[in-house]
Amino acid sequence: MTSTLRPVGVVGVGAAAPNLRLSQSEVSRAWSAGGGRGVLAVCDADEDTLTLGWQAARRALDAAGVESGAVSGLWWGTTKPPFAEGPSHAFLAGALDLPSDIDGALCAGSPHAGMEALLSAWDALAAGHAEVALVVASDALVPGLGTAGEAATGAGASAVVLVALPGDSNGAGPPAQLVTRASRTMAVVDRTRGDDDPGTGDVYDPRLFREEVYLPLVAAAAEALGAQERWSLSDPDGKLASAAAKRLGGTLVSVGAHGAVGDAGAAAALLGAAGALGAPGSLGVIGYGGGRVTAVAVDVRRPVPGADDVGAALSGGQAVGYVGALKARGQLRPQTDPIPMGVPPGGAAFVRGNAEMLALEGARCAACGTISTPPSIHPHCINCGSTDLEVVRLARRGRVHTFVVNQTMPPPFQAPLPLVVLDLDDGARLMVQGISADAGALAVGDEVTLVLRRYALERGIPVYGYKAVRVDGGGGTAESASAGAGAEAASTR
Amino acid sequence: MSWNKVAVVGAGLIKMGELFDQSYEQMAAGAYGAAMSSVDKGRPEIDAAIVATQRGSLWGQEGIGGNTVPSALGLSGIPCTRVENACPSGSDAFRIGAMVVASGVHDVVLVIGVEKMRDKSTQEGLLARAAAGHPLYNRGETAPVLFAPFATRHMHEFGTTPEMLASVAVKNHHNGCLDPYAHFRNEITVEQVLSSPMVCSPLRLLDCCPQTDGAAAVILTSADRAHEFTDKPVYVAGFGVATDHPYLHEKSTYVGLPATTLASRRAYDMAGVGPDDIDMAEVHDCFTITEILDIEDLGFVEKGKGGPASLEGETALDGRIPVNPSGGLLAKGHPIGATGLAQITECFWQLREEAGERQVAIRNGVALQHNVGGRGSGVSVVNILTRNR
Repeated sequence: MTSTLRPVGVVGVGAAAPNLRLSQSEVSRAWSAGGGRGVLAVCDADEDTLTLGWQAARRALDAAGVESGAVSGLWWGTTKPPFAEGPSHAFLAGALDLPSDIDGALCAGSPHAGMEALLSAWDALAAGHAEVALVVASDALVPGLGTAGEAATGAGASAVVLVALPGDSNGAGPPAQLVTRASRTMAVVDRTRGDDDPGTGDVYDPRLFREEVYLPLVAAAAEALGAQERWSLSDPDGKLASAAAKRLGGTLVSVGAHGAVGDAGAAAALLGAAGALGAPGSLGVIGYGGGRVTAVAVDVRRPVPGADDVGAALSGGQAVGYVGALKARGQLRPQTDPIPMGVPPGGAAFVRGNAEMLALEGARCAACGTISTPPSIHPHCINCGSTDLEVVRLARRGRVHTFVVNQTMPPPFQAPLPLVVLDLDDGARLMVQGISADAGALAVGDEVTLVLRRYALERGIPVYGYKAVRVDGGGGTAESASAGAGAEAASTR
Repeated sequence: MSWNKVAVVGAGLIKMGELFDQSYEQMAAGAYGAAMSSVDKGRPEIDAAIVATQRGSLWGQEGIGGNTVPSALGLSGIPCTRVENACPSGSDAFRIGAMVVASGVHDVVLVIGVEKMRDKSTQEGLLARAAAGHPLYNRGETAPVLFAPFATRHMHEFGTTPEMLASVAVKNHHNGCLDPYAHFRNEITVEQVLSSPMVCSPLRLLDCCPQTDGAAAVILTSADRAHEFTDKPVYVAGFGVATDHPYLHEKSTYVGLPATTLASRRAYDMAGVGPDDIDMAEVHDCFTITEILDIEDLGFVEKGKGGPASLEGETALDGRIPVNPSGGLLAKGHPIGATGLAQITECFWQLREEAGERQVAIRNGVALQHNVGGRGSGVSVVNILTRNR
């Protein structure tokens, strides 16, 4: 039987971390506990597991040189998708501009979900049901306040692009290949969140979990996999992986990612391995969650495209205190009722407009070339009035034409909020929000890139769209210096 | 030649402010009474009314319509229509009232603007628009966001400074001290403006007009009948309206408001005058940058020179072109539906040289009134008034 299965290669990898960084010591101090020298990545108010997954997927596809239209399936693993029940998979696929006939699955329910997504994609490719698979593992769990897990829970995402290989392939082959796998399951209760719980809680004593659950399961799966030169292990409390690695032998490569973002849950094992895909050798990837462990052996022959960018993707971030982190995660809110969105997500306007918002579409005029955005509210060109319009994907890069930073808004808005008028590289002009981290540095002429962010969590429903993020260095001074007649000419369409 | 088919024979307003103690209806009655008692001769019989109210929802009282105001004025039964056209609602109601009179359908028309800005809390009222409109491309767009990007770009292209912006607020607060109807009647300094809290960069608190309750009214009749009511009628010389795209990313420029330019060109053509003929102007200064854009777009100063002109006093009461002698929206206040009619009232007084301490020199007998607003400053109205028949 196995002889009919196709081998599967890894051709691209990407990683993403959210904007905020919280010191573990801030969490400990809040609860008058000691210890904690690490750093936890925390989602800003406009980030969640979907936006992190989107960013990692975009980077993996770009690194692999794979167009969105060539992807035949999306497998996404996240402990808690943005809709507890709902169109999470469809929204991520839409934002990535994947074809409407894609295959795939959303794996959720525990931090093991990332490995489940990887295995499912592998199976589909091996069986011949898909040719190019996008695997996304992301998490941004909301830890229960005062739980042991709170001082360990981080956030992050990783994505890999997998391709099916011809069964008789020789020659160069893919940069890396999935080799073998092993899983172990044990019906235990460790970290859980009930329907009515606001965050994830711990049930077991940490020592009980370590000795009776994590270490035996990881050891059993790793033994089944066989010896590896390097290991990436998911690490629910920050000390478990090194304890396990001592028993396994080999190098623990996931310490870098863990140190940068904390426990990234369903993303942890793949994210810990992402950078190591840049160096040849054997690599064991072991993910734990919900009483399940899955280990996958990867044979890295050449650096996987994108692996070298993983470190940069996880570095940086904006320091935030405990109160700021709680506000960003929605765990601390004003008692005032938030101002409701004028166009409710349940209304027809979202059925008409969601796809064009997720894919960032405009309407290009065949007569004069002007792009009117978005198409659904522009039956006529804004410049010449023509109705000969073609829907196009807007460019994802541009420059700041003008901007403001809004400091005065009612809840649920959080100041400072930049609002930026952009000249995109394709000639379109667009006003979108900026990100809070850029509020102090924006300047006319700055180069920006557009990223998916959560514009609102409206009556429990996430609303996604693109925001402008300043590209490092900005570049605003160059145009500032050439202000005057040239700038005025540029301002007139 | 001016149009001059219609005349203003009475105009008045109530003291602007946070009028928590007055109902919408009481404010309307106050403005109506002021306009009626300003009529020099006799008591005109109102044939029809047009009411300007921009925000039609108060607490539990949705849709202030055309029938609310006549009832409050003891005029129930007359024809009355509500006009809503964003911040120019009052000035557009005035223009429509003039056309109604000129049509000959109604002889004497009351145009009244009434607005409650403070019955709802700031968060549920003015700031709530941050969540209105397109879920992405308008999200976070409070009122200052409609104008602050123009300040950023004007500074970038022309070197306009925060001090120049501040000088507009300082001048208008000074004028407001001389206007008994103004919401704010206190002097401020450039330093106070520059140290006030940032609301929406680069605009600070004192760059912004307040939230003001208020009402204003004018009485219109045909030019031929005007002398039945007064020996000093003020004629409607011309008017213009123009629209622009509603989204901020659809602007063709961020250093001017094309709707204002287009509306003023139409008004100047209709009135047969140009910017140099204007003795004084009441313009839309919801934010300091707006007045700077206005005086450029209306042709009072060259594009890009609005900042220095303001700083150097060209728009002061004794300047080359006095702008907002009433204190403007910045000091007198901006009760949206009433704003345009309060501006018309100021022009009426100035042209009749009844403005007391803040009276400006009337040389040509021509005044201009202007509003701009709506999503993306997508609508502007300009009315030109004259005392010359």
